[in-house]
Amino acid sequence: MIIDINFIGLIIASIMASAVPLILASCGELITERSGVLNLGVEGMMIIGAISGFALMTVTGSLIIAIFGAMLAGVLISTIFAFLTQTLITNHVATGLALTIFGIGISAMIGKNFVGIPGKEFPVLFEGLKDTIPLLGPILFGHSIVFYFAFALPFITSYFLKKTKIGLIVRAVGDSPESASNQGINVRLVRYACILYGGAMSGLAGAYLSMIYTPQWIENMTGGRGWIALALVVFSTWNPIKILIGAMIFGGLTIIQFHMQAIGVRIPVQFLTALPYIVTIIVLVVISRDSRKIRLSTPSSLGKSFHKDN
Amino acid sequence: MNTNLKISNVTKIYPGCVANDNISLEFNSGKIYALLGENGAGKSTLVKILSGVIIPDEGKIYLNENNLKLNSPLDAKKNDIGMVFQHFNLFETLSVFENLIIDSDEQRESVREKIDAIMKKYNFSVDLDIPVLNLSAGQKQKVEIIRCLIRSPKVLIMDEPTSVLTEQETSELFLSLKKFSDEGILIIYITHKLKEVMQLCDEVAVMRRGKLVSVSEIKNENIESLANKMVGQNLKTIKKKKAKTSSDQLIKITNLNFTSEDPFETNLMDINFSVNRGECLGIAGISGNGQSELFQVLSGEIISEKNSIEFNNNYIGDLSPQERREYLMAFSPEDRLEQAAIPQMKIFENVALNNFKSSNFFNNGLINENKIKEHSKKIISDFNVNTDNIELKSQFLSGGNLQKLIIGRELITSPDLLICFNPTWGLDVGAINYIHETLIKINEQNKSIILISTDTDELLKLSDKISVIHKGKLSKIMNSEEVTSEKLGILMGGAN
Repeated sequence: MIIDINFIGLIIASIMASAVPLILASCGELITERSGVLNLGVEGMMIIGAISGFALMTVTGSLIIAIFGAMLAGVLISTIFAFLTQTLITNHVATGLALTIFGIGISAMIGKNFVGIPGKEFPVLFEGLKDTIPLLGPILFGHSIVFYFAFALPFITSYFLKKTKIGLIVRAVGDSPESASNQGINVRLVRYACILYGGAMSGLAGAYLSMIYTPQWIENMTGGRGWIALALVVFSTWNPIKILIGAMIFGGLTIIQFHMQAIGVRIPVQFLTALPYIVTIIVLVVISRDSRKIRLSTPSSLGKSFHKDN
Repeated sequence: MNTNLKISNVTKIYPGCVANDNISLEFNSGKIYALLGENGAGKSTLVKILSGVIIPDEGKIYLNENNLKLNSPLDAKKNDIGMVFQHFNLFETLSVFENLIIDSDEQRESVREKIDAIMKKYNFSVDLDIPVLNLSAGQKQKVEIIRCLIRSPKVLIMDEPTSVLTEQETSELFLSLKKFSDEGILIIYITHKLKEVMQLCDEVAVMRRGKLVSVSEIKNENIESLANKMVGQNLKTIKKKKAKTSSDQLIKITNLNFTSEDPFETNLMDINFSVNRGECLGIAGISGNGQSELFQVLSGEIISEKNSIEFNNNYIGDLSPQERREYLMAFSPEDRLEQAAIPQMKIFENVALNNFKSSNFFNNGLINENKIKEHSKKIISDFNVNTDNIELKSQFLSGGNLQKLIIGRELITSPDLLICFNPTWGLDVGAINYIHETLIKINEQNKSIILISTDTDELLKLSDKISVIHKGKLSKIMNSEEVTSEKLGILMGGAN
């Protein structure tokens, strides 16, 4: 059997496309967690982004309004989380879980009117270049702007954290909010900003799902991707580049197991469906074993409330 | 240029406690000022007000006649007031350099040049590109000092800076402080250690229970006069009588090794020692040289080989702390609120954590509250814990009272061996005295102590034998009469 080389390119491209929402949400959550805040509401923020994007697209007809609207929706819902955890000093874990439940519920409610409506076609870039290079053509070209942004994001995030002043402040707050506060850093402000940024990225990830990846609204369409994004952050030991690797493995295995099911490989379906989850975590654990590096990259204050006493 | 700092009628009230009661003080550059007081006297509150961390209820601060509005640490920095906190304000996982540039608006390169110049001038050597958690306490403090010096401060406040330093590091620090003072930086030095005040400072202000008790020149004071002002009563000096030599061996450690998987812990190598009944073995060392690992191995938090620890003719190396307690060992760990007690739990609940089969705290899995409370009340009265409310959450006890409670909890079963780790760390003179007396009493009752401490004065006062731990290895065991603090200092530094 001769396999078309461009077919392999297409498979790789589809793997990358399925990794996009994971990369976006993980990189957003990574910034949130680096500031010491554990937001378990990623799934909820993502699904809010998904319904907001789809609804705005349908109502206004403008893709730009829809994409930015979805990010704004993510920001708004994460503001609730920020207000509760940073101003009212509630528990991060409980608040995050509540956020997810809230997000899934409200998206289903809003989404009722949008079930069955076909989505719009999202413009892709460099479509014409797809056939110019074998294998690489379909991988590199003909994708949406969000796709390119997602693959640049881990590198931008890494640069931001390591090289910029604000990145340094975010890491400092995550390491020791007490010290940061005594140094005159406004811990609450930094954490608010990081939470809102995480919300925006989760919103964008959701919008990618409902507007670009599978352009339609289905209830609960994020299907646990928010939880995977959270796991990626932890198992990558807060390293954006490893998030990229983890998201690719997860996306890859998801796509491949679909094909294996289609071909009819004699492995129980349940096992195939579970495979991406297990393998991704194992691989990330193996590549992140250096306990010294874990100690250095784990935000020491993660999930702990900080209350400035006076 | 002369710097004049004036504190005028500063008051800060917390619920149930006046931390600073109408304090007025004046400082001029060229001198080193001591702010002396016991824990809870209000000195830390006062300097936190000066550094903008705490906002006073009343009162004003003037720097060179300018009324300062210090609403945040940033304001203090802008007004050239630098502060080195007692608990380091460093970011452990960030590099030294990142720690130093975080509050600077200048370019990285120019800050690096500045830092290099400062380190050269004062003969500091710290690797700028390693994470702070790899530094020793003395180096961490240098980082804090450099961070202040980058801003060329007019005022430098040091809050209990020597609590984590070795003698060698302390004398280096004093030299640097004198140099800063000569260069016109106004130095305010907060401490409860009298020796240091006499050694370093020119003037001393004593605080007690939130009030300013006295301001005087050092040349008119001596250690006793300052101690009495600080405590507000005459302190008795305690001294240990020479123990009768016993040859009845109680605990013997043979070829004990511990290899940690955590790269930030110290490995223990080939530890051998024994302690006789009625004896106190002191283990000196700079913190981070394996003391906490040694404590954990001895207490059973870390399990070792069965035969490596022989206690009362039983091999107990593989037993848990609770099982070791049943053999009449008792433990007082270093961190009172993290390891020895649970801060959110009530006093009597913390007492119940030491659950012996014989104590009948639990009946068929149910808590026997009356029994535990009765037992707790006995500890509180026997060990002079200054509260009568056993329902109080233990986090609200002062360090001294909490330590008395912990020691009391451990001793009430009259164990054969007490292992304690920095039992008087951060306590005030009165509480230290009480703990020392208690420890001496234990030895007099022919019970033994292993005292792991970073305070050499304490070790020399209480121990019969002393050994020094350095990088996980014990030195030979010496009789305490033949040891001086200088000799200990040399061994602690790693020399033979």
